[in-house]
Amino acid sequence: MLQLKNLDASYGFLQILWDVSLHIADGEFVGLIGPNGAGKTTTLRTIAGLLKPMKGEVLFKGHKMNTVPAHETTRMGISYISEDLNLFVDMSVRENLLMGAYIVRDQQKQLETLDFVYELFPRLKEREGQLAGTMSGGERKMLAIARGMMSNPLLLLVDEPSLGLAPHLVTDVFKSLRRLQETGVTLMLVEQRVNATLEITDRAYVMEQGRIVMEGPSSELMTNEHVKAAYLGI
Amino acid sequence: MKEQSSLGSTLVKKLTGNLAATIVVGTTLVLAVVIGVEGGPSQVINSIVTGGMWALLAVGLALVFGVMNVPHFAHGESFMVGAYVAYFVFNPIHTSLKENPNTFLGVTAPFLAMLAAAVAGLILGVILERLLFYPLRLKTKSGWVMNAFLLTVGISFILTNGTTLTLGPNFRGIPRYWDVPPLQVGSVRVAVDRIIAFFIAIISIVALWFFLRQTRTGRAIRAVSQDELGAQMMGINLNFIYPLTFALATAMAALSGASLLFMFQAYPTVGLKPLYFAWYVVMLAGLGNVVGAIVGGFIVAVLQSATQLFTFTVTVLGHEFQIGGIAWEDVIPTFVMIIVLLVVPSGIFGSEVKGVQEQ
Repeated sequence: MLQLKNLDASYGFLQILWDVSLHIADGEFVGLIGPNGAGKTTTLRTIAGLLKPMKGEVLFKGHKMNTVPAHETTRMGISYISEDLNLFVDMSVRENLLMGAYIVRDQQKQLETLDFVYELFPRLKEREGQLAGTMSGGERKMLAIARGMMSNPLLLLVDEPSLGLAPHLVTDVFKSLRRLQETGVTLMLVEQRVNATLEITDRAYVMEQGRIVMEGPSSELMTNEHVKAAYLGI
Repeated sequence: MKEQSSLGSTLVKKLTGNLAATIVVGTTLVLAVVIGVEGGPSQVINSIVTGGMWALLAVGLALVFGVMNVPHFAHGESFMVGAYVAYFVFNPIHTSLKENPNTFLGVTAPFLAMLAAAVAGLILGVILERLLFYPLRLKTKSGWVMNAFLLTVGISFILTNGTTLTLGPNFRGIPRYWDVPPLQVGSVRVAVDRIIAFFIAIISIVALWFFLRQTRTGRAIRAVSQDELGAQMMGINLNFIYPLTFALATAMAALSGASLLFMFQAYPTVGLKPLYFAWYVVMLAGLGNVVGAIVGGFIVAVLQSATQLFTFTVTVLGHEFQIGGIAWEDVIPTFVMIIVLLVVPSGIFGSEVKGVQEQ
């Protein structure tokens, strides 16, 4: 599905990613973990087309994506749910969700997906007419994730969904991601909650200072000494 | 009409719990009544007609600022282009009609002229955006608002002087579009041209409102104005939305220039005054706020009428000064605008100007 080959990326003169290579197979649920400032968000932004790589290649379903603009990557099936959420604050929940389905021209299909995300997040259905800007942090997060699903993506990139969420909501969000994988969506999750991430993902990469330092099946990483010492605090 | 009522409900929402807006709108209504009593109903109708036009112009400004973060100071030149196009389309038809009268053409020719102006505005808008703002956007790393502002000032100079160079500084105008007697509205007679100009403004604004609320592309425009990055992530192509927005705004300004040709005439600097008034409106209402711009249009028009109608004489150190009258038309709205900006810096409809801080 997705492959990054020796990717370098920077903001202006500040290089963030150094020689990053990773791959995600169809239907896989992959985690990307690491400390603050490791370059996890930058990796997602590069895949989503919001940042152009300096060197290396981004391949999505065999297409070279290096210079594809962000709106095209969405049309090709990549949906990115950013940490800042980027909601349309003056639009209602329903309008936000329908904006998520902007690239889906079939209205019937839009409404089907809408029903699906409402089933996943019943709270959003209750708040259908409310303006996104007036919702609580947890509800906004749900809305952003639901909106990201509305385009029926092949690959969903989720950036720190647990940030600022109450613990029971985090469980809800993670469960919904898991359910999404069951429907056939490929997922990449960037998280600081290493334990929870390793529990739900199939495979994970560990990123430190802009480089991939470790990779492997999540169950193996959980027992890895370095991961245990650095992230799990055991 | 559904969209009309939703426009109304949005207005009510904006007014409730907003003290500054309530005070300003309330004062304006009182002022409008006083104008009606003192100056007669025709003055009130006049304010409503001009108010509609200021609103149409201001909506374009609000749209361009809200979506593209461009403080558009060449909006008046779009008005000017519209006036010229309408003149050059209407005048030949009008002359030929004198020799062989044709009622159908007589009625439709003005609409034809306005349509031509609107289409010219659309084209001009797309050209300006692609030729100037697009390259600027690629080059600009920071300070976009300032750069864009200077660019619009440059466009304004070039269009004004270019027109003087090619067409000369002469006034080209028409006495009226339709050769029919004024309409009797209650006890007042109102020129048909004015009534039609008013309805054109209202219909355009309602159509724009409907477009922004109910259509896929319109919603995309609103999405871009609320979160540009989020909009891109939804698959919205900014290189489609920007030219479209700019073209719409330019077309609306050109349309007002065309439909007010009988009032303003066409000459190179005709756009200056409409530009100022449109800016008063958006500053009063809050930048990037489309609904506020509509109310603001009428507020400024009422202030304008009141200034023209009431005059006071003040004696300072033995000198007599007259306050009020047509020469004060700019002074009072500016004064009110300064007060509003001091008390509620983001305008009375207080849409927080996200764009500026983001850039």
